[in-house]
Amino acid sequence: MKRNVLVVVAVLVVLSLAANAGTISGKVSGVAGESVVYVEAPAGKTFPAPTQQPVIDQKGLMFHPHIVVVQQGTTVEFLNSDSVAHNVFWISIGGNKKLGHNMGTWPKGEKRPFKFDNPGAVPLLCNVHPEMSGYVVVAPTAYFALTDKSGEYKIENVPDGSYKVTAWHEGAKNQTKPVAVAGDSKADFTLSK
Amino acid sequence: MDTRQRVSLFFAFIFTVVLLTGSSYAIPAFSRQYGTSCSTCHVNFPKLNDFGKAFKDAGFKFPKDDETFIKVPPVMLGAPAQAELWPHTIFPGTIPGLPPIGLRFNTFFQVLGKNRHNFNLQLPAGQVGPFIPRTDFQPGLFSIFMAGNFGSDIAFWVDDDISVGGSGASGGLGDGYLKFVNIGRFFKLPANVLSMRVGQFELDLPFSPARSWNLSGWDIYDQANIGTSSQNVNNSFALSSAAQGVEFSGGHTYRGYHYSVAVVNQNTSGSSASPANVSPQVGFVSDSNFKDLYGRFSYRFNLERDPASRNETQAAGATGPRDHTYLTLGTLYFYGRSVQRATGVESDGTTKTVITAREPFYRVGADFSFNYRKLNLFGQYLVGRDHNLIPLTPEGFELPVGFIRSNPVKFNGGFVEADYMIHPWLMAIMRWDGVTSSADRINGIGADAGNPPPSPFLSPFRSARNRFTPGVQVLIHANIKTSFEYQIRPQQIVYDPATGNAITNPFRTNSAVAGLEWVY
Ligand SMILES: [Cu+2]
Repeated sequence: MKRNVLVVVAVLVVLSLAANAGTISGKVSGVAGESVVYVEAPAGKTFPAPTQQPVIDQKGLMFHPHIVVVQQGTTVEFLNSDSVAHNVFWISIGGNKKLGHNMGTWPKGEKRPFKFDNPGAVPLLCNVHPEMSGYVVVAPTAYFALTDKSGEYKIENVPDGSYKVTAWHEGAKNQTKPVAVAGDSKADFTLSK
Repeated sequence: MDTRQRVSLFFAFIFTVVLLTGSSYAIPAFSRQYGTSCSTCHVNFPKLNDFGKAFKDAGFKFPKDDETFIKVPPVMLGAPAQAELWPHTIFPGTIPGLPPIGLRFNTFFQVLGKNRHNFNLQLPAGQVGPFIPRTDFQPGLFSIFMAGNFGSDIAFWVDDDISVGGSGASGGLGDGYLKFVNIGRFFKLPANVLSMRVGQFELDLPFSPARSWNLSGWDIYDQANIGTSSQNVNNSFALSSAAQGVEFSGGHTYRGYHYSVAVVNQNTSGSSASPANVSPQVGFVSDSNFKDLYGRFSYRFNLERDPASRNETQAAGATGPRDHTYLTLGTLYFYGRSVQRATGVESDGTTKTVITAREPFYRVGADFSFNYRKLNLFGQYLVGRDHNLIPLTPEGFELPVGFIRSNPVKFNGGFVEADYMIHPWLMAIMRWDGVTSSADRINGIGADAGNPPPSPFLSPFRSARNRFTPGVQVLIHANIKTSFEYQIRPQQIVYDPATGNAITNPFRTNSAVAGLEWVY
């Protein structure tokens, strides 16, 4: 009997969570390949510090993966898997040139961490291989998604409410639009260069 | 050579200075194969950075883990496992997955100084010299070049200027060779101590005239030792001449020691022969049995403080990898035996025979290159000496019976150049070239106004000719470059040695040359 009560309570808790947490899904069109969609920070709301620690690899003269989305405050590790020297630098974060940084040089097999405390897109470059290109997109909230190649995305566990949602694509202008989340919500974006 | 010919040589010189030195290369085929920019290997194409030097030393491969960088997989000419069946099967190799072809085109514009006609003033009455334009647009080269690796560390290179070659013409081929990299492994030698190159190639000079980034070549590498009419040398060999033969080399050009030893064709006449009695009929490029010897040794001191970085291909800087701070010291030596043949007589004074002089000659040089961040300062000093055996005609004989030693024919000179990278796309150049050759002087004007010099760059009473060449090169893209240089030749007035009066106006012509070139 006691056990049944516990089950019922658990189900109720889950249901109540589900009741006020929805999803945002849709499609980013107008551009080809992967894009990033993230929820802008609601005023006054803070998020627990992120625990994920993604790794961006430099392999075969390329950044892998090409785009990584992280929550603000995330530490990203940069690995060099090549037997040639690379470096990682960016000239701005979210267009702010004061946030430019150069991480220097490190040999094969080593990782160097960097904590991204400012939101915005970070265009990664290497000063020896000018064709190398990668992006860290720092989202101000924990609600973000990388689209698939066709532009489809789904952001899960977004509490019901009104938000501003931004779509980002390499080389295109960002687009931000208001989205009211109540259960499963839709938001499509059409970006242009 | 009559006056008119000599005057035409004047143009020939000016134009060839520009055209001959156009043979510089960057390799778009490698860009395609590795999916990387020209600047991975080049500072300002075709000038190599430290990584480019290592790539070349390794036989056009990444020095380590080459296969992990190739974006276009090579085509197998045999499964790798076939190697175990050898000698019962052909040893497996590869060819590049894309045709390893690069193309290059360039075009020029030049402006000559006002005194460009001063030679014509010296022509004998009644002779009209050719017109020399103040400005001229010139089509450049269109050349095709191929390079890569066939697996098993066998590298290849072929470049050919298809715009000047024409049907049946010779001279279009630049370098064409196979390089067997690291063959020392078959003799259990340490890695990289022995490689072999076979074919036609530029001698392993400290600074490659064939792949120079300058619009005009370094004068000393083009210096031939012809001698005067009273001498018997006629050696048209210059260090920049293409050599055919075999070369053994080892070490690295980006750190530590590097050496090469080559055995190449002797050709001092500058021509080839096709004797009718040799079947199948072939042409010969050698003009003696003796093969010339060339050797070079250099040592590069990488001066990075951090010992780990010192031994890497590129230095690790605070903001990223870069070329090392280094000092390279090198030396080169070339030895040949030039053959001069003449109709002579035997000691009876009547029986005709061919008499042959074998004149040893050598070129010995020292070079340095210092690099600090964006500045590269480098130079070459070279001495050349040819034995001079002159025909000996005894009294009462009409033809010589042999040769006797006379004063050797010598020259020396070199260059110093500073390249400064103001931006990764903008290079400023300052350069001095100097050549001192008494034979050049004696071939010059002398006191006879009716016998002008073969080129405007020779001095009448001084044996040295100098040239200062400031320049600038701008990369529009990594594969498109526009270059400008101003060639300043200190002007000289010809004085009549008898009267001390000037007999002609200053005649060394300055010129401004602009070039545009692209590779793809
Ligand atoms: Cu890189």
